Amino acid sequence: MPEVRIQKSEVRKKLTSALIGIVVIAIATWAGDASAMLTAKANHDHITIDFFYHGSTVSVKGLSEPGTDLVVKITSPEGHQLLKKKGKVGGMLWMNVGQLKFENTPNFYEVFSTRKIEDILSTEEMDRHVIGFPALAKHVEITPVENEAEKAKWFDEFVKFKEDSRVYTSSSGNIKTSMNADGKQEYFIMTDWPYQAQPGDYLVTVYAVKDLKVVEQATAKVNVEQVGMVKSLAGMAKDMPAMYGFLSIGVALGAGFGVSMVFRKGGGAH
Amino acid sequence: MYLYLPVALTSINILIPVGLGLAVGLLSGLFGVGGGFLLTPLLIMFGIPSTVAAATDSNQIVAASTSGTYAHWKVGNVDFKMGLYLLVGGFAGGILGVQLIKLLHAMGNADFVIKITYILMLGIVGVYMFIESLQSMRKKTNTVEEAKEEKESAVGRFLKSLPLQTHFVKSGITHSIFVPIVLGAFVGILAAIMGVGGGFLMVPIMVYMLRMPMHVVVGTSLFQILFTCIEVTFLQAYTNHSVDFILAVLLLLGSTVGAQIGASFGKKLKAEQLKILLATIVLAVTVKIVFEITLTPSLLLSQVGGH
Repeated sequence: MPEVRIQKSEVRKKLTSALIGIVVIAIATWAGDASAMLTAKANHDHITIDFFYHGSTVSVKGLSEPGTDLVVKITSPEGHQLLKKKGKVGGMLWMNVGQLKFENTPNFYEVFSTRKIEDILSTEEMDRHVIGFPALAKHVEITPVENEAEKAKWFDEFVKFKEDSRVYTSSSGNIKTSMNADGKQEYFIMTDWPYQAQPGDYLVTVYAVKDLKVVEQATAKVNVEQVGMVKSLAGMAKDMPAMYGFLSIGVALGAGFGVSMVFRKGGGAH
Repeated sequence: MYLYLPVALTSINILIPVGLGLAVGLLSGLFGVGGGFLLTPLLIMFGIPSTVAAATDSNQIVAASTSGTYAHWKVGNVDFKMGLYLLVGGFAGGILGVQLIKLLHAMGNADFVIKITYILMLGIVGVYMFIESLQSMRKKTNTVEEAKEEKESAVGRFLKSLPLQTHFVKSGITHSIFVPIVLGAFVGILAAIMGVGGGFLMVPIMVYMLRMPMHVVVGTSLFQILFTCIEVTFLQAYTNHSVDFILAVLLLLGSTVGAQIGASFGKKLKAEQLKILLATIVLAVTVKIVFEITLTPSLLLSQVGGH
């Protein structure tokens, strides 16, 4: 009976005591032939982004049946992404040579496992649950590409691009397990939550794995939200663009004149 | 200390934008360039999305050029009349340049044209300014004056034959109003194609084609850049929602101070020294772009938008 508990540690900055939290809503599910009830507890409602936000940490811990391996997958909702691709022009100059559309792709995709995914799950199971980059590669549609080899090449580049932005990662051996007094297996993982992860809802899925199959799974949601002035400014930029434009120009003009006055008084400018 | 940027959707150490703003503001006050051709790629390097970097850069240039224009105006180095004619031409050229870019995008070779235009314009301007400044520094003053007179007489006959001649008191020159308008339009077209303010093109054009004194060139260029960037900032905020107000404030904290220091420092340098310094920076940027397009990039994908 695995239990998923997502705990968000707080980031405290010098100028603020703002808390950054995580929403965890546990949903019990049935998987495979195992009958189990999942429970979860949330320490915080959600991750809040204020002016001093610089990322956070997310911990996932709970109980599982002894002898099961675990996979933790954190993803954002799937959508399509348009990116510029570089290619050689005239055999020697690297230029943007067009755009590629990546469909059925999450903006955020992190997978952690107790052991190497290929050692604990069959290819079919990985594909069925879209666990790991090879499975994601089959799940994603890329256009325009001429053949599978080209698709594979651009998917690799896509992962490199996302890893560079710290929103895609896949690693193993970082989920700690131990046996408790009741003979249950406790598991725990703490991972950095990158500040590059955009506001929105994220899905955390924990898979209990045995004999190359997923035998149980549990899901929870993590909500990342802008608050305070950050939210107000982002909203104004989108909903009142003319006023936002005038404000930006006004502040820039004011700052320019203001500094000029300071220098004038100080005799720095002339 | 880190601050979260609400439009760029990223967090940045505040020392980075303040420091970059200070450095670019210094160049702005010294040479009369906006510095977009330097700052935008640097912001992208520090993780700012390209569309936000370009738009926010325009916003901070408004502050830096206000500060710089004011500093130069106080010492009488802004030719407002010339600046207005250049603005009229630049505005018309900008509209034409945007249409040209649309056409190039439709033809599918916009990026190639932009990159090659960048390299050619920067390379030509940089090499010409560097050699000319070096020669001027070496030659005796009278020899330079003679050479200038010879050049002026060759081009001058044609320019003087143009209608609507007017005297620009601050610069001490006489031109047909069509000369700054056409040259402004030329820079406007290139600036629109290259996605930059065009200060590094406008400065050499004022020096070598309009024959304006270098110190008036810097102040007048900043005046012209100020209005161009006000327009660009508003359009970017209104149509693309890509101006990050917080990033702009951090940048302008540095750039406004830098522009004042630059304007003050510029007075202590001779015209030839200013030109050769600007030429060196322009050439360094050219070399950087050449490396960029010849060496295999680490990432073959990038965000849509920006330069």
